Amino acid sequence: MQKIDKKTADAYFRTRTTLIIIYLAIGFCVSYGVVLFAEPLSSITFLNMPLHYYMGAQGAVLTFIFLLFVNAIVSDFVDKKFGLLDLDKEDKEENVVNK
Amino acid sequence: MDTQFLVSLTLIVATFGLYIGIAIFNTAKKTSDFYVADRGVPPVFNGMAIGADWMSAASFIGMAGTVMLLGYDGLAYIMGWTGGYLLLTFLLAPQLRKYGRYTVPEFIGDRYKNDTARLIAAVATIIISFTYSVGQLSGSGVVIGRLLEVNTAIGTLIGVVLIAFYSALGGMKGITWTQVAQYVVLITAYVIPVIFMAMQLTSSPLPWLSYGEVVSEFSALDQELGISEYLVPFTEGSKWQFIALMFTLMAGTAGLPHVITRFFTVATMKAARWSGAWALVFIGILYLSAPAYAAFSRFILMTQVAGSQINNLPAWTQSWVDTGELSVADSNGDGTLQWSELVISGDIVVMATPEIANLGIFVIGLMAAGAMAAALSTAGGLMITISAALSHDIYYRSINPHATDRKRLAVGRWSIVIATVVAGLIALNPPGAITQIVAWAFALASGTFFPALVLGVWWRRANGPGVVAGLLVGLTVTLSYIFLAKFGGVTVLGIIDTGAGIFGAAAGFLANIVVSLMTKPPTQQTIDEVTDLRYPEQLKYENGEVWVNKKAE
Repeated sequence: MQKIDKKTADAYFRTRTTLIIIYLAIGFCVSYGVVLFAEPLSSITFLNMPLHYYMGAQGAVLTFIFLLFVNAIVSDFVDKKFGLLDLDKEDKEENVVNK
Repeated sequence: MDTQFLVSLTLIVATFGLYIGIAIFNTAKKTSDFYVADRGVPPVFNGMAIGADWMSAASFIGMAGTVMLLGYDGLAYIMGWTGGYLLLTFLLAPQLRKYGRYTVPEFIGDRYKNDTARLIAAVATIIISFTYSVGQLSGSGVVIGRLLEVNTAIGTLIGVVLIAFYSALGGMKGITWTQVAQYVVLITAYVIPVIFMAMQLTSSPLPWLSYGEVVSEFSALDQELGISEYLVPFTEGSKWQFIALMFTLMAGTAGLPHVITRFFTVATMKAARWSGAWALVFIGILYLSAPAYAAFSRFILMTQVAGSQINNLPAWTQSWVDTGELSVADSNGDGTLQWSELVISGDIVVMATPEIANLGIFVIGLMAAGAMAAALSTAGGLMITISAALSHDIYYRSINPHATDRKRLAVGRWSIVIATVVAGLIALNPPGAITQIVAWAFALASGTFFPALVLGVWWRRANGPGVVAGLLVGLTVTLSYIFLAKFGGVTVLGIIDTGAGIFGAAAGFLANIVVSLMTKPPTQQTIDEVTDLRYPEQLKYENGEVWVNKKAE
């Protein structure tokens, strides 16, 4: 086994945690945020629906899906930046799921 | 009736045959090709399998009806059940995957080094999965009742026999491809009718973009009639109830044992992230369609059923009146059915849609097959989770550690049969609508597992006594609040029984933190194990140093 500088590993953890906090904050705003301000937002119309209704029925869900994909893509990028993908290059199976 | 019955039954039997066929084919392949069989499936398909596991009879049958009856307030379910995947994928799934256990009680017992915690977690798993399966069985009762044109209670009994048989066959759950097939059947069945409705009512094949037109039309009608308006927020409950319910469903999703188990079977943390993302795409298709269903059904009920002569109602209404799920009574005796004289159970909205829109017998049959796929895939997963908790976490690890494999399997099988039958008896006279019963299961999960898992992964100082206190306090607070709000009439800020999880989770976190800080910190070994969860599986943390771990799997 080869050793890695703990500082590098901790930088990895910090980057990932910061990103997750950002994603959760956005997710929180489009769901709880919209509910808290439902009454003022209802005067805006989007796709024939008041904005608060649109966000509940579609907007929030689409944002959640978007955030999950951003997380998956960015995390792969972060893994690469920290040189983690090279570590298991020979392991072609890393992208599949065991069943 | 006869043709319809035959078509529906044929479709259900054919899809059953498909699931069993795929299961047998995969087993056969595994034995003949043992060494490469375990190479796995891509995250896209794992996402579909998670979708089938997740989308239950409550989602398939009940969701749209709940939105239709509650209007804006029903959207708490849509956001809650999808938002849970953010918490699960960001906060728990990859780390739980790295820790590498097979059941949630096992993780809790090993992470906190506490046997009592494992036992409590196993009991909580059983209570939660059991409550959830009551919702599944009462859902399959609606489907079978309609199909055979019998009362919903008899339909439920038939469902019990089917599900007990299906789950006790065993092994089904483990086979991803069977669930992929179930997902395809259920989503096709769900989306086709709503697309046809959109074409009939809005002349657009994309209901997701066009149902707004219908919504704005009947909102005008709402105002004319002076009835509770669909789009106006918080007509059915307070704003705090909306937020509490949404939180309960999100945290509950992240803490549901049968959902988390799905992420234990992915190969890597990276695969866990991608599977979570794909899962929400496939789940999202259903949840984005449900408000469209709700809008179209409400529009038809308001414009075509309400206001017509009581002797001249559309033909489809009669068969639903027979099942006891729809009631039309001309109570003021003027010969016309008013909107207020129409009592509709939310549980029939989706199932009645193909008849309402006159889509023909094939689509009605497809719908029945889809609903059965949803109920079966989830009930199967729930029953296996219950039997794992009983036979592995309780019987094997606490009662009889010397039990043979055969004996454990027998305990597991019998627990499935008994759990299904008892759940079925309760489902005969369900204590609430499907969506509501399911919401209680989520309240319990968010009061017990959510705090225990989040603190277990993210707070190294959390210890055994802390988690025992957290689980017990969370469970007690959630259960007491459900009973007080439902039967005692006591509520805080207008939050009713379905929002109980927010109090349970708060109490669970608090009790875990306070008791952990008052007692001895966990051993260095435990702290190291939890620190290790910060890094991807290619790295291993040991004694303050980080090593490259060649054997990542």
